[in-house]
Amino acid sequence: MSCSGERHCITCSDEGVPMRVVDIHAPGLALCATEEGVKSEVMTDLLGLVEPGSMLLVHAGTALQLIESPRGRSALDRAAR
Amino acid sequence: MRFVDEYRDAELGRALAAEIVATVDPGRHYKLMEVCGGHTHTIYKYGVDDLLPDNVELVHGPGCPVCVIPMGRVDDGIAVAHEEGVIFSCFGDMMRVPGSRGTLLEAKAAGADVRMVYSPLDALRIARENPASQVVFFAVGFETTAPSTALTLMRAKAEGVANFSCFCNHVTIVPPLRALLESPDLRLDGFIGPGHVSTVVGARPFEFIPGDYRKPIVISGFEPLDVLQSVHMILRQLAEARCEVENQYKRVVPYEGNPHALQVLEEVFELRPHFEWRGLGFISHSGLKLSGAYADFDAELRFPVPGIRVADPKACQCGEVLKGVIRPWECKVFGTACTPERPIGTCMVSSEGACAAYYNFGRFTREKAVV
Repeated sequence: MSCSGERHCITCSDEGVPMRVVDIHAPGLALCATEEGVKSEVMTDLLGLVEPGSMLLVHAGTALQLIESPRGRSALDRAAR
Repeated sequence: MRFVDEYRDAELGRALAAEIVATVDPGRHYKLMEVCGGHTHTIYKYGVDDLLPDNVELVHGPGCPVCVIPMGRVDDGIAVAHEEGVIFSCFGDMMRVPGSRGTLLEAKAAGADVRMVYSPLDALRIARENPASQVVFFAVGFETTAPSTALTLMRAKAEGVANFSCFCNHVTIVPPLRALLESPDLRLDGFIGPGHVSTVVGARPFEFIPGDYRKPIVISGFEPLDVLQSVHMILRQLAEARCEVENQYKRVVPYEGNPHALQVLEEVFELRPHFEWRGLGFISHSGLKLSGAYADFDAELRFPVPGIRVADPKACQCGEVLKGVIRPWECKVFGTACTPERPIGTCMVSSEGACAAYYNFGRFTREKAVV
């Protein structure tokens, strides 16, 4: 019932779940999956182009940042440079 | 797990801890506040504080929006939930937050239709599926969560989902930080800044902390190595007599934030003149309500809301915990009358609450490891 556990409380402004885009449902709406395979619909309006394979940072059903694009270097790689 | 394992490496953690020991002045006591409840959670789950020298103290800030919701607003939500024909939706943690006459979970047991959702979009879906009911979403959270509510309301408006509304309790992060810095009973040396709030607002809004108060702040990620590195960056600023905004979480936080998200917030919300924070009192321009353009979706205008201010229980010291004045276990009712199963204060409800983090990970009984 609670949001506790490995994942944090959703409301606390700090849960950011890496999710990969599986399919584009509609403009601004994508089906995404966590590393564990849990799928949910995510609003992607705040980002530019996302495509299947894109890795997103998701909070409360909304993608806040693009972590990795299938065509580009990941944010982690960029941060390391 | 990719994107996570890189930041949990024990060897790197020990190396960072050694660098921290080499950076601190042994004759000085350092008091750093982690703003986010998520950082509190990480610190006690992974024992980050065990790796720090004794003279580096971490105190817990007000960055858990569940923890700062005053009892009166919970009562208001419960009153709306009991309205005829209402389906009341909220995130899971909110269901256990006590108001003056019980929780939303107890309201559900008493017959109210209260449903847990994982996103505001889920609440909108319930509204589409139940056109004969009024579906209300209890919106809570900082600037990280507010865009999700805003985008959902924009969809509701575009689709004409007239039976959807929002009971808005969104808050902003800068005003409480300023209130804390003005507090005479709190002496802080630096801040571990909120990571995911900053994905939206960026790092720039925190420039007032070094600018006006001469304190360093480092925007931090949430993995244990992120937090350790941020502590090191703050201590290094202090050692070098610098104070500035640094961004440890560059992999997801652009310095300017997400302009589109800020634009969405601007369109859907407006600042309230005042908003009450549990333990901190009324803080000017710290809460959001729906803008005039979205007034039709404002549950406070659609339903009668009591709006009665309720004083916190006398035994509860959440306010002092939220200000970092006392540690959770120093509260009179911690772990006895107040537990995660029967919380008196909100800090014991949310997994991000400082009291729950201490309680769940047993930090108040553990001894520090020798680094």
